[in-house]
Amino acid sequence: MTSLYLRWGGMLIVAIVLTGLTYSHYQQHLATLSPSQAKAQGLNQEVRVLGMVRGGTLEGNVEGGDATFALVEKDSTISVRYHGPPPDNLRELKTLVLIGKWNASDNIFEARDIGLVTNYGFVVGAYLIGLIPLAIFLFAMSRRVGLLYEEIKTSKLYQEE
Amino acid sequence: MNFFNVIRWIVWKDLVTELRSRETISSMVFFALIVILIFSFSFSMDQQAAREVIAGIIWVAFAFTGIIGLGKSFSAELQNDCIEALQMVPESKGAIYLGKVAANFLFIFVVEILLFPMFVIFFNLDVVEEISLLLLIFFLATLGLSAVGTLFSALTVQIRAREVMLPILLLPMVVPVMIAAVEATKGALNGDPLPMYSQWLELLAIFDVIFTVVSFWMFEFVMDN
Amino acid sequence: MIIHRVIRKVQRFQGWFGGGAALCIIAGLYIGLIGSPPDYYQGEVVRIMYVHVPLAHTSLFAYIVLSIGSMWYLWKRDPIVDNMCHAVAAIGAIFTTLALATGMIWGKPTWNTWWTWDARLTSYTIMLMILIGYLMLRTFIDDSEKEARYAAVLAILGLVDLPIIHFSVEWWRTLHQPQSISMRGVSISSGILIPLMCMSIGMSLLFSYMLMVRTQLLYLDRLLHAKKGRLMSQFHMSKTDP
Repeated sequence: MTSLYLRWGGMLIVAIVLTGLTYSHYQQHLATLSPSQAKAQGLNQEVRVLGMVRGGTLEGNVEGGDATFALVEKDSTISVRYHGPPPDNLRELKTLVLIGKWNASDNIFEARDIGLVTNYGFVVGAYLIGLIPLAIFLFAMSRRVGLLYEEIKTSKLYQEE
Repeated sequence: MNFFNVIRWIVWKDLVTELRSRETISSMVFFALIVILIFSFSFSMDQQAAREVIAGIIWVAFAFTGIIGLGKSFSAELQNDCIEALQMVPESKGAIYLGKVAANFLFIFVVEILLFPMFVIFFNLDVVEEISLLLLIFFLATLGLSAVGTLFSALTVQIRAREVMLPILLLPMVVPVMIAAVEATKGALNGDPLPMYSQWLELLAIFDVIFTVVSFWMFEFVMDN
Repeated sequence: MIIHRVIRKVQRFQGWFGGGAALCIIAGLYIGLIGSPPDYYQGEVVRIMYVHVPLAHTSLFAYIVLSIGSMWYLWKRDPIVDNMCHAVAAIGAIFTTLALATGMIWGKPTWNTWWTWDARLTSYTIMLMILIGYLMLRTFIDDSEKEARYAAVLAILGLVDLPIIHFSVEWWRTLHQPQSISMRGVSISSGILIPLMCMSIGMSLLFSYMLMVRTQLLYLDRLLHAKKGRLMSQFHMSKTDP
């Protein structure tokens, strides 16, 4: 029984480490800021900004990958200059993620790419719902097998034959 | 007593019991009438809506009444331990299965024939041209239902909570029958040309053949004591 | 008997199965969640596939094991095979439920609906119903030999029925909604394939490991009951003997 608990303790530690790694990975590479945070934070560092393209502000050669528009999130707004690969989801009133830098001298956000809006909730939910019941089920079974072995051993039921 | 005699005697026995008591068929018919009533309350039906859902209603009613009949088929044998006498028949158990399938099929089919005019009257159906085709659909679907249902009736009769277990086990198994019967009935009632839904009739026929054979074989293991 | 020898042989490697499953799943999770790039169309949501698809495959595998075991039982009447069938049905029911649940979570962001009467989803649901019916049937029978026999009959009928259910539901779907939802859009690139393979192998190993543990559990339970019953009857006999 001790070895069972040790094994499962090891699994638990590995699971926690994996969760921590995943969390820090997403914080570094995929977390998004709101426009006002981007304005406050990013000097020369690249950030991801989540917001909606405000209606009536999209101008420039959108198909060619050159455009300017205003990005809104709640009540904060920044103006954006997009220059990068031709986007296929840059439309007015579209919520999207912009990757780029805040240019403080021109007071404009210079985006170089557009990412998909990520639904972390679904991914997290699917992994938790998929794996945790399996783990609990397996743990309960293994524990019960251990208990049964012990019961058989202590009750000396097995000696007769 | 050879194989076919066993089948004949089982059918005869069930028919005579039914003719004397009239329990199964009358309870099935009245249950189905109540189902029809409930359905007509739960959908507010005009002519157009009726066309869309009537095939489904017909088959839900038939399936539920069928389950009543199938449940009674073997639970009647429990009285005076008749089921043990059946297990001692010195012939292949498959003969008992085929006899019971035939008897159940007859009961359910008769109930369907009695009920169908009610549907025609209550829901204003227009069926004069398609009647032979509808009978064929009823025939095939009822055969499939009773082929699987008879086996499950024998299987659930000797366990606890048999009234609950029969529909729980039977209904998922007969999903293909229900889908095919509903689609074919819908086609026939709408007056579509036959090639549009003949695939469903083929599916029903295939299901009947496969499940009669498999259940015939499996019945040995169910009755074997 | 041959099956006993096979089971004993395989049982000796139980730890390897468990360890292999743990390693593969940990590697698969790491690559799937961190190492692999997001999909071009689906973005990060594609990572749900790495847990959903292995669960779905494994639950089908469980049904195949169940029906083969049931046929073997009806042929040889070996109680340990029956224990295995009982075990695999419970595990299969859990895998199917989880496959459906993760599938629903995947469906919401990609198809914008939790549930659709898609052919595959519908036949999986019916398969789950049959498995649950199987487990319920087993709880309602007292005599263990009869329980095993009836359950085996039900499993074999279900096996025959599953392809028919799948085809009929597929026909029915194409009739009502010609453009059935499919998983096109996900092109299988190597970035997706590696974590998917890791998780698939890991889940199959995990399934085998769980099957061994649960078979053992049911076997020990049966053993304990039988021994206790025998002791009890001996005790009563000695009391009633003059």
